[in-house]
Amino acid sequence: MEAGTKPKISGARLCCCCNQRRAALKRPKTLEQICRECFYEVFEEEIHQVIVENQLFKPGERIAIGASGGKDSTVLAYVLSELNRRHNYGLDLFLLSVDEGITGYRDDSLETVKRNELQYGLPLKIVSYKDLYGWTMDEIVKMIGLKNNCTFCGVFRRQALDRGAALLKVDKVATGHNADDIAETVLLNILRDWVDALQLLLVKMDLFLDANLLSIYSPNAYRGFAREFIKDLERLRPRAILDIIKSGENFRISASTKMPEQGTCERCGYISSQKWCKACVLLEGLNRGLPKLGIGRSRGLNSDVKKDVKQDSGTKSIESKQCGSLDF
Amino acid sequence: MACNSATCNSSGCYKEYAEEQRQPTTRNNGSAAAQKNLCVKCKSNEPVCCGIAGDDARFCKDCFKTNLYGKFKQAVSYNALITPSDKVLVAFSGGPSSRVGLQFVHEMQCRAQNNYDASKDKSLPVFGVGVAFIDESSVHSFTSIEIEKAIEDIRSIVSNLSPPEKELYVVPSENIFSSDSIEGKEKLKKLVDGVSDVTGKEDLLVHLRMLALQKVASENGYTRVVLGTCTSRIACHVISATVKGQGYSLSADIQYVDSRWEIPVVLPLRDCPAQELNTLCSLDGLEIVELINGPCSSINGLVSSFVKVLQEENPSRECTIVRTAGKLTPFHFNRIPDIHDSNIPSATRKRLKRQSLNPNGSISSESFCPICNSPLNKSNFSSSLSNLESDQISTNFAAACCSSCQFQILPKDPSLMEQFVSLLPQPLIARAKRGDQGDFRLLREQIQDFLLSDGCMARHSQGDKLFLAIAMNPDQWLVPASVPCH
Amino acid sequence: MQLTLEFGGGLELLCQSVKIHNVNVDLPKGAEKLTMKDLLSWVSTNLIKERPEMFMKGESVRPGVLVLVNDCDWELSGQLDTTLEEKDVVVFISTLHGG
Repeated sequence: MEAGTKPKISGARLCCCCNQRRAALKRPKTLEQICRECFYEVFEEEIHQVIVENQLFKPGERIAIGASGGKDSTVLAYVLSELNRRHNYGLDLFLLSVDEGITGYRDDSLETVKRNELQYGLPLKIVSYKDLYGWTMDEIVKMIGLKNNCTFCGVFRRQALDRGAALLKVDKVATGHNADDIAETVLLNILRDWVDALQLLLVKMDLFLDANLLSIYSPNAYRGFAREFIKDLERLRPRAILDIIKSGENFRISASTKMPEQGTCERCGYISSQKWCKACVLLEGLNRGLPKLGIGRSRGLNSDVKKDVKQDSGTKSIESKQCGSLDF
Repeated sequence: MACNSATCNSSGCYKEYAEEQRQPTTRNNGSAAAQKNLCVKCKSNEPVCCGIAGDDARFCKDCFKTNLYGKFKQAVSYNALITPSDKVLVAFSGGPSSRVGLQFVHEMQCRAQNNYDASKDKSLPVFGVGVAFIDESSVHSFTSIEIEKAIEDIRSIVSNLSPPEKELYVVPSENIFSSDSIEGKEKLKKLVDGVSDVTGKEDLLVHLRMLALQKVASENGYTRVVLGTCTSRIACHVISATVKGQGYSLSADIQYVDSRWEIPVVLPLRDCPAQELNTLCSLDGLEIVELINGPCSSINGLVSSFVKVLQEENPSRECTIVRTAGKLTPFHFNRIPDIHDSNIPSATRKRLKRQSLNPNGSISSESFCPICNSPLNKSNFSSSLSNLESDQISTNFAAACCSSCQFQILPKDPSLMEQFVSLLPQPLIARAKRGDQGDFRLLREQIQDFLLSDGCMARHSQGDKLFLAIAMNPDQWLVPASVPCH
Repeated sequence: MQLTLEFGGGLELLCQSVKIHNVNVDLPKGAEKLTMKDLLSWVSTNLIKERPEMFMKGESVRPGVLVLVNDCDWELSGQLDTTLEEKDVVVFISTLHGG
């Protein structure tokens, strides 16, 4: 304990693990009162257990850590590098960041990621929208306005992360999604009638990056509603968050619900369930001055692309998650 | 910006469009303006209420009612919820939903009666209708004056319905015990008091209410139990079941038909939002009897206020929730069993037959939670099964329950648990025993499964992660998303 | 009473992007001690410049906002009833935004 801080209730509440030090927090998950040191230990060991039980990594693998500079990915970077050292996972870890090109938004956080690079000694790779697509998010917003821009951001970010991973030649990408995020996604999928999306989510949870959570261009109130609801629930019943995830995993989604077939985009070669991947459709729209291409219903386009667009918006995959366009 | 596509609604284009629209209005001023003030359906009467939630569609009283009755009738006939040879028991709480349910069943019966009277060969019988009110005064803190008044009102509502006459059963919830009523009352009180979780207590009462309804229906020869469960109620159930970790069994509870029970339960108001049912009650002057319960701090209460906020934001939200959940695969018991009735139109019969042949949810050796009767999923078996060998009735009972009931209803303390089980009504105990005879080996496998999947417990909440982040170094992390979106 | 207040996780934006505030809070009239409840109402009138609903809900903080008093979770010290003393450090962090 730092000098100068004084316990509020002297000696009355000791850590339930070590029974020696003063408890510093009440874990939302278990309501246990626990001290700082024991908390680290328990938290890190729990993650180690998850990694071991689910065989997330194999020795010698190259792993990219999706790093936004935020708290979740910072914790992830810390824990993974710490566990890798402590338990000899034998992993090559990298930090991978996406620069969307949003002035005053990503600049600061990229600074944080650069600090992480130094502190944990992990090589950092930054991929930018400008380099990959020729457009920064600022330019896209200038073109299409505030509505629908989350579609672009989300689709591009997801693909940027994958392309960055390919550049780094990594085997896997780890992201910092936490239980709250997943529970929230399960709820939002119910609220928006996206069972298909839910199924996809559960299949490729590891790669799912959610644009809506993180953008200054996304002024949606309902996400806040859902998050607050989850926090209210947690207060009433801490296990509710895990129960929601459990529900999401156990929903009886019929096997016949069609899963998009995986192919490659004819244009860029990236994985896609359609002729063109979503990013290419969106990009084509931007470059041709038809930014509405690929967003919802489209009219007045050549029939070939039109067909593609229709199919694409029919398959509501995670990648095509739109937030700005939804009337919630 | 230049307008490139037909859908463009940038400000410039939109203005033109709006002006175009306005022109005809100014030209034939009279009729267009008048049109606006007429019912969208019959175009002749003055509208009195908004129709389908969210739409600007405005209906006159008659069209509104026809529309709502249409949804009911559609659900009933499409799914053969009520057939001519049936004897249906309407569960009537006195609230608006079940009041409309009662009214619609009554109207349907009247029409059937008229047809019967008009037909020569009298080949189609008229289905019978009874009404049940479950008196829960022994577990709620209503004064005896309140409850007497409520029962009196309910009697008058039922007796004021035109013939055919309907039998009314006023049944105290303690009826679920075979013992005499005073002893039953005590038992019930003790049983409910044994549940410490507020949500668990509420849910237990719902399960016991169903038990009471089933008992009345079965003892009096009814073939269907009609509930007034509306879209809004189902939407709330979808969310709260998800929150309670009952994702697997959820789809069982939200279909038109639920024949898990001895007497199949049907939900003909599944497609009617509460708001519309309330509107009908006030338009048609349908009397409502409401026993107000205090504000509830349960999960269920939190969920319904959440859904209410969403509904205010977007009036079709409840329907969307029900539609999403409707895509989940139902169970084999979510259909009317044994459709042999020659009075059902053959098309309907064929459709229902097809449904029943559908391997969806293959008629498996499913086991059910003895308390809430929800079908059990493998992962529902909890670690408490490790002492499965135990001879203790209470331990075996607990092991047969779903994890949600184990958590929110069953007492944790072994001696309290024993007392709780000893107080349970017979049908629940019997249900547990039925489950017990299931394949023991299967159960073992299921335990194995559970043990392997325990890893999910290590998921971390935001709070946890944050603490670690702060503790590591408060300056380390910056918040990229630091702009609260609102 | 001298206190140090820190806002993080996005909450600093509600008070003109200043993270750390060294403030002097007076005891409520007639009261002998300052509680978190008093502090919260003081903060919402004196520091929060916009969208107070992002910070408060009812008379407490919005669910999802972590509160630490001298590095200790306020859930352990009685939440709203926590008594504050001279030179205490109170940290508010929103978990509702970003990750």
